[in-house]
Amino acid sequence: MPYHQFKVSECIPERLHHAVDKGADEDLTDALPLGYLNTIPGTISERGCAYCGAKHVIGTPMKDVIHLSHGPVGCTYDTWQTKRYISDDGNFQLKYTFASDVKESNVVFGAEKMLKKNIIEAFKAFPQIHNMNVYSTCATALIGDDINAVAEDVMAEMPDKKIFVCNSPGFAGPSQSGGHHKINLQFLDQWVGTGEPEIYSKHVINYIGEYNIQGDQEIMRDYFLRMGIQILATFTGNGRFDDLRCIHKAQLNVLECARSAEYICDELRVRYGIPRMDIDGFGFEATADSLRKIGYFFGIEDKAEQIIAEEYARWKPELDWYAARLQGVKMCLWPGGSKLWHWSHMLKTEMGINVVSVYTKFGHQGDMEKGVSRCEPGTLAIDDPNELESVEAMYELKPDLIMTGKRPGEVAKKIRIPYLNVHGYHNGPYKGFEGWVRLARDIYNCVYSPAHSLVHLDISKDEIPTDKGFATRESLSDVNLSDEIKNSTELREYTGDYDPIPRLRKKLEENQYTFPDPVTGEWRQVPLETIKRGKIVDVE
Amino acid sequence: MDNKISQEKMAQLEWYITKHCLWQYNSRGWDRLIQNERILTKTKQILRGENAKDDDTTADRYYWSEAMSLQGAFKRYFPWVAEMSKEDIAQILDLLKERMDHTMVHASLNQELVKEKY
Amino acid sequence: MSCNLKAKDRVGVINPIFTCQPAGAQYVSIGVKDCIGLVHGGQGCVMFVRLTMSQHFKESFELASSSLHEDAAVFGALHRVEQGVDVLLMRYPELKIIPIITTCSTEVIGDDIDGVVIKLQEGLLKTKYPDREIHLIPIHTPSFVGSQISGYDVAVKAFVEHFAKKEAESNGKINLITGWVNPADVTELKALIAEMNVDATVLFEIETFDAPIMPAGNHVGHGETTIADLQGTANAVGTIALNKYEGGKAAKYLQDEFDVPAIIGPTPIGIRNTDTFLANVKKMTGKAIPESLVRKRGIALDAIADVSHMFLTGKKVAIYGNPDLVIGLAEYCIDLEMEPVLLLLGDDNVGYKNDPRIKAMTENVKFDMEVVTNADFWELEDRIKNKGLKLDLILGHSKGRYVAIDNNIPMVRVGYPVYDRAGGFRHPVVGYDGAIWLAEEMANHIFTDMEYKHNKEWVLNVW
Repeated sequence: MPYHQFKVSECIPERLHHAVDKGADEDLTDALPLGYLNTIPGTISERGCAYCGAKHVIGTPMKDVIHLSHGPVGCTYDTWQTKRYISDDGNFQLKYTFASDVKESNVVFGAEKMLKKNIIEAFKAFPQIHNMNVYSTCATALIGDDINAVAEDVMAEMPDKKIFVCNSPGFAGPSQSGGHHKINLQFLDQWVGTGEPEIYSKHVINYIGEYNIQGDQEIMRDYFLRMGIQILATFTGNGRFDDLRCIHKAQLNVLECARSAEYICDELRVRYGIPRMDIDGFGFEATADSLRKIGYFFGIEDKAEQIIAEEYARWKPELDWYAARLQGVKMCLWPGGSKLWHWSHMLKTEMGINVVSVYTKFGHQGDMEKGVSRCEPGTLAIDDPNELESVEAMYELKPDLIMTGKRPGEVAKKIRIPYLNVHGYHNGPYKGFEGWVRLARDIYNCVYSPAHSLVHLDISKDEIPTDKGFATRESLSDVNLSDEIKNSTELREYTGDYDPIPRLRKKLEENQYTFPDPVTGEWRQVPLETIKRGKIVDVE
Repeated sequence: MDNKISQEKMAQLEWYITKHCLWQYNSRGWDRLIQNERILTKTKQILRGENAKDDDTTADRYYWSEAMSLQGAFKRYFPWVAEMSKEDIAQILDLLKERMDHTMVHASLNQELVKEKY
Repeated sequence: MSCNLKAKDRVGVINPIFTCQPAGAQYVSIGVKDCIGLVHGGQGCVMFVRLTMSQHFKESFELASSSLHEDAAVFGALHRVEQGVDVLLMRYPELKIIPIITTCSTEVIGDDIDGVVIKLQEGLLKTKYPDREIHLIPIHTPSFVGSQISGYDVAVKAFVEHFAKKEAESNGKINLITGWVNPADVTELKALIAEMNVDATVLFEIETFDAPIMPAGNHVGHGETTIADLQGTANAVGTIALNKYEGGKAAKYLQDEFDVPAIIGPTPIGIRNTDTFLANVKKMTGKAIPESLVRKRGIALDAIADVSHMFLTGKKVAIYGNPDLVIGLAEYCIDLEMEPVLLLLGDDNVGYKNDPRIKAMTENVKFDMEVVTNADFWELEDRIKNKGLKLDLILGHSKGRYVAIDNNIPMVRVGYPVYDRAGGFRHPVVGYDGAIWLAEEMANHIFTDMEYKHNKEWVLNVW
């Protein structure tokens, strides 16, 4: 597995060991890109900071929390309305953000007093919210504000309020991943174990490392609830602060994004003996295997198999319609830290897509181990890619599409490569069975966009085809397709809704789920209020 | 079983794990050794028709769930698994464990495996 | 009935209207050719500013970070600036200008970027790049001072101060400092002065921010203001800085340092302010205003007549965003018989209370009007939800979208950033074309609202 030398990075030799070409018959012991090291200044890396990793990625999806950043206003502004983590109760976490708005005099004289005023003001403006996360930033970490002391002070004055202090200034680590780490452990230390939850099912899990992007959590929640499993809390998508205080009481931690949340799982395993079960909610086979494993754990394999059968029957013909038309499509899969491994093999086996390159902006070597393992030989794997390297790779690999973030996607667009948003998604959710069909649909619409097919024509030089007023997607995608597939009555395009989430929420509101009694094991309905907002008793 | 054949079969099982499983990637080396040991031993026991449950702890149940899932997938992917003798199963699964320990821990290039804290 | 100006009385910010200084400096930096800003601070200070730019323009722009990490925060990080400059110069052979833009962290730790620029000039640039024209420009933009607005102002001045070079001869041009505008605004401004046969150095040439997909490939959007343009600013016949708070400092610098006469403002939003702008160009250059502009203006007046006293009159509007934009829009709204009842300016600039345009409003408007400085979106939302403020329209950028959505108030997207509507940057708000777009866009939003709410929507059965 030779290291990959980018021409544009010949002058910075330390970059060499950050990219490899996966060879045939080679394994992880032959080469592995370096990862999670300090960024080389001036490379135009895509990385963010440890503050955003803590606040923006993990903290803010908590839905009943005032998210207050202690610092100048920019950090707050930047991490507001730049993600798509929704919640099922009005999206407070998307709509509101709070900054202590540190100014020069605060830097000189300290900002603790004004922080206290800030916290009280915010609670008063939103009296229905009882929880707050306060995030430190570069400026307030450097001036040495004691945020914890301020928080204690306010909580003493306002006993019905709870404040979590997240100390993860922007400079605390090579990338946003430093912030994932910090917020995991700090939340655990400060708040986990302070609540006693109401247990209504024999089977109790935490769903960890899931952020409800466009409703991912709600798709998976439906499966868990259909299996009769109580989700104590989700860390953190669509999650409630109080529920998260009780996660020490679960029987199993189901971990989705290990990159951002393995730390809390590992510590829960050490401190409370709760096993960590890594799952993949992306892809039919991966989701099915994940549900099966959870089924085995609780002795409810039959429930898992039933869901898998139902979902396959409903969605597999739709996945296969797209898969037939996506065979051989070349993709650069350039996400943040986890989707390179969640997706690459399932894209290959279930859609026929060749992932020709993976990268990770902020991942560690562990993510590259998974990503490289799950790719096919010939794949270019890049750690902490920078602008020029990405451009060089795109010109060299000529993928049919690129799955990446908003801004790099704009670079791809100019190189005439269409892109899909891998972070916030185009038309997600992408998790679970229906979600995976939606991803296939989005990839298909992206690759076979009739408008996109015009980008290579140079009207000043080329012969201009004048025989058509339009082209259909099928005219582009079905060229080499057999009649059998073209005329199949089994296969069909996606038939779900523009937004599948309201249907799932309605199901919950109508209380369509049953659970086995924790003591008797008898399957019965549970009051909706208990499922949605179980009683939490404070414990010391 | 002939050494070459058992190596080939082991490689097929290893291929399945690298493409589908996540349990071998825990972030610390000592942790990976335990995962490999517990899950692959139980997988071997289940495939050999032996009792694979050690005790009543959730930890044991977790390893067993992974093993159940894995042995099921092995049988699904590789029909030869169901037809093997107990001795051959043991031979191949022991090789597999050795191999996983080697690539994922002892010869791993992941510099974070030796860190003390999570 | 009166107009009051006051500062927000809460200490904190609930939903910010503005971001901090380095963002303004970065916006300036992308307008200059062969220039990549190196932001000295944490990586988020760049990553998110680039993200917001790409949300607004649906383009990507190049900006680099010194990538401040833990050790640097403790021991100082000037070596990372040195390395960052070198890495940029090695990998971008066309690169000539690197502004070094500070942030809160590097100002708090006290990194001496002016010192490191001198060190680099004496050392690295001489030894490694002896034959290359390279400019390093220190720009101090601590995030806890001012806002994106002052950051923009400071950065324009820093560029001009670095390059402006007096020659014996006048270059016969005017300097046109546009302030924080969109590509379409620059197009409109250039069209206006071209009609008058006036040649201008435009700071900044950003029409290329609207970049095409080309059959042979293209890279990223970038401004086109050159070093020669910036050098020549000292030799202009005069400077017109359209926005007092976004470029005013540079205009004043050129006047004080090189006797280049400066006219600062007004922001040419609406007919009246555009008229004044043309009068200023005429005064500065002696060039006549041609018949073609009379026609252009007439088309705008014609469009306004269609919508103003039938549909826009009496409509209560709240406006937030960049101060010159907000003030210009308010003035234009008053001309259109509307009532801009609430203006929100997102920083604590004490100069606002002495701004003659705001003073004129406080002295002359006959409806209840408030101007809130250091404002956030809660100042708007709280008034609507809890204090009985009734609005017919909101004018502002996308960050305030939920105030409009949750309160069923139509909102015309103006300013920066606009990411929840397509092509916002493609419409001018300045000049006569801007006046047309604004009047019609406001009317159309009100029409849609009438239809959704069945509020006399039948009026439009005949119009």
